[in-house]
Amino acid sequence: MSVIELDDVVKRYESGAETITALKGVDFHADRGEMVTVVGPSGSGKSTMLNLIGLLDAPTNGSVYLDGQDVTDFTEDQRTEERRSELGFVFQEFHLLPMLTAVENVELPSMWDTSVDRHDRAIDLLQRVGLGDRLQHTPQQLSGGQKQRVAIARSLINKPDILLADEPTGNLDQDTGRTILEEMRRLKDEENIAIVSITHDEQLETYSDRVVRLVDGVIQS
Amino acid sequence: MAWRNLGRNRVRTALAALGIVIGVMAIASLGMAGVALQQQASSNLGGLTNQVTISPGQDSPEDGITDEQVEEIRSIVTDAKVIAQKTNDTTVTSRGQEAHVSVTGLTQASALYDVSAGESPERFQSGALLTNSTAQALGLELGDPIEYDGQLYRIRGLIDSSSGFGPGGFGELVLPLSALSDQQYYDSVTIVAADGDAATDIAANLETYFNQDGRNEEEILSISSYASVQQNINSFMNTLELALLGIGSISLFVASVAILNVMLMSTIERRGEIGVLRAVGIRRGEVLRMILTEAAFLGTLGGLIGALCSLGVGLALFNVLTGDPWLVFQWESSRYLVYGMAFAISASVLSGLYPAWKAANESPVEALRG
Ligand SMILES: Nc1ncnc2c1ncn2[C@@H]1O[C@H](COP(=O)(O)OP(=O)(O)O)[C@@H](O)[C@H]1O
Repeated sequence: MSVIELDDVVKRYESGAETITALKGVDFHADRGEMVTVVGPSGSGKSTMLNLIGLLDAPTNGSVYLDGQDVTDFTEDQRTEERRSELGFVFQEFHLLPMLTAVENVELPSMWDTSVDRHDRAIDLLQRVGLGDRLQHTPQQLSGGQKQRVAIARSLINKPDILLADEPTGNLDQDTGRTILEEMRRLKDEENIAIVSITHDEQLETYSDRVVRLVDGVIQS
Repeated sequence: MAWRNLGRNRVRTALAALGIVIGVMAIASLGMAGVALQQQASSNLGGLTNQVTISPGQDSPEDGITDEQVEEIRSIVTDAKVIAQKTNDTTVTSRGQEAHVSVTGLTQASALYDVSAGESPERFQSGALLTNSTAQALGLELGDPIEYDGQLYRIRGLIDSSSGFGPGGFGELVLPLSALSDQQYYDSVTIVAADGDAATDIAANLETYFNQDGRNEEEILSISSYASVQQNINSFMNTLELALLGIGSISLFVASVAILNVMLMSTIERRGEIGVLRAVGIRRGEVLRMILTEAAFLGTLGGLIGALCSLGVGLALFNVLTGDPWLVFQWESSRYLVYGMAFAISASVLSGLYPAWKAANESPVEALRG
């Protein structure tokens, strides 16, 4: 069974008198252990699609299923709970908090949750992405590639089912991008998760199990 | 976490905290100043607040208070000591030194005079009391004789010169009433009541009896009680205190606006960051709590520094006004430190509320788009 599924999803943005239909009936799914990449020109609706998969936003029409459960009409608070437990995010700009150390950044999603202690898992994840000796460094003291590794470790802290990546290599040079992608593939197998990335980067396609092309809000098969 | 967020923009945090410090200092220092002033005023009045003093009024037919009037006073005032006095002044000499003193004749000394040496007799029929400083100037001691109107009186007690108002700097010679028997009328009557309220009641009763003959208002006797003076001082002080607190509150209000501004700026600046927090599953309530905690930290920091500075101001104030700096720690004045702190923290949290609510409820998609 697919861990995430979009069923005939439409997303319209109303800004003043103008209405933009960013997604025009998109069907999509991703399975565990699969790395799917969504590519397409700028403005084709990739970010919109990622926001829907990531439960950051709700579709105008159509349905979203997470682990077979219909989450289309979830409230913001319910979506927050799902994001917390089932989803991990990696961004192009890393988005680490500057005043926290690497370990603290990794622990961030469960920082307010006193019921779980994620400290050991945070250290374990950082060791697995090769940053065992950078635990107490702040983002300022890390290179771009190292920051993205911290971000990947953070996305996995709550043992999600899906990792969503928005241009994960966009701010990295080719070589660093390649090692990050290799890292992601390895972790995907170790943790048995689905990875959905959106990108312009041709390089990403070669590391993917499947590539989906989006043009003007429509999937091209 | 909240602490480190504040640490990121130290200048801004310091400025906001400074605003609170000033607000707390205004509230606490002004409140304590009011208490110190009030205590200084009532300590100057000393033990006089339970006394009623009667002297001849401007409409008095005689040049003094008559025996009959004293008897009438005694019959009205049954539950307090009534002490009628005749006064004069004279120059006393001893061993070539002279001193000008006021002379008071009465039958009962203990209620009006505190002595630092010797005794202050309840029934005063012989001997004399003399102000300590005058005795020293004249080289007189307990048991020495002092002359008045051709008669010698033995000094039985030395009056504590610092007690009550007294004729400051001016010595006082207290003699039995019989020493001034050639004066026909009494010059004043002092009534010593149980407390200030009793004194006020007595003063009112006497006022009605002597000075309100039908519809005519005359001043046969001039009746004054320090209790009413004290009450006037108290109510003035209360007004003053309120005014001071008002000024303090305004400054704290200004400080709150400063905190509101700082918190708003810092949440707007961290919009994307808060979006990330929300994206990775931080709940709205948690974001709210984080920002409120920052505001509370700011308030506590500013409040603590403000309270410490006010304590310093309070110590200085009490030292100058009452002579005892440690009086600042009595609850009556130190509570203003607590008020100031409480006000600072609650004002900070309140003004953090709107920015926190705004940040927590923003859609993560919008926040991430920047
Ligand atoms: N919040 C929004 N409000 C209005 N229009 C939006 C919003 N988000 C995206 N769009 C529009 O939707 C279309 C798809 O955008 P997007 O999903 O960002 O594409 P991509 O990520 O492929 O560049 C664009 O025309 C964009 O202007």
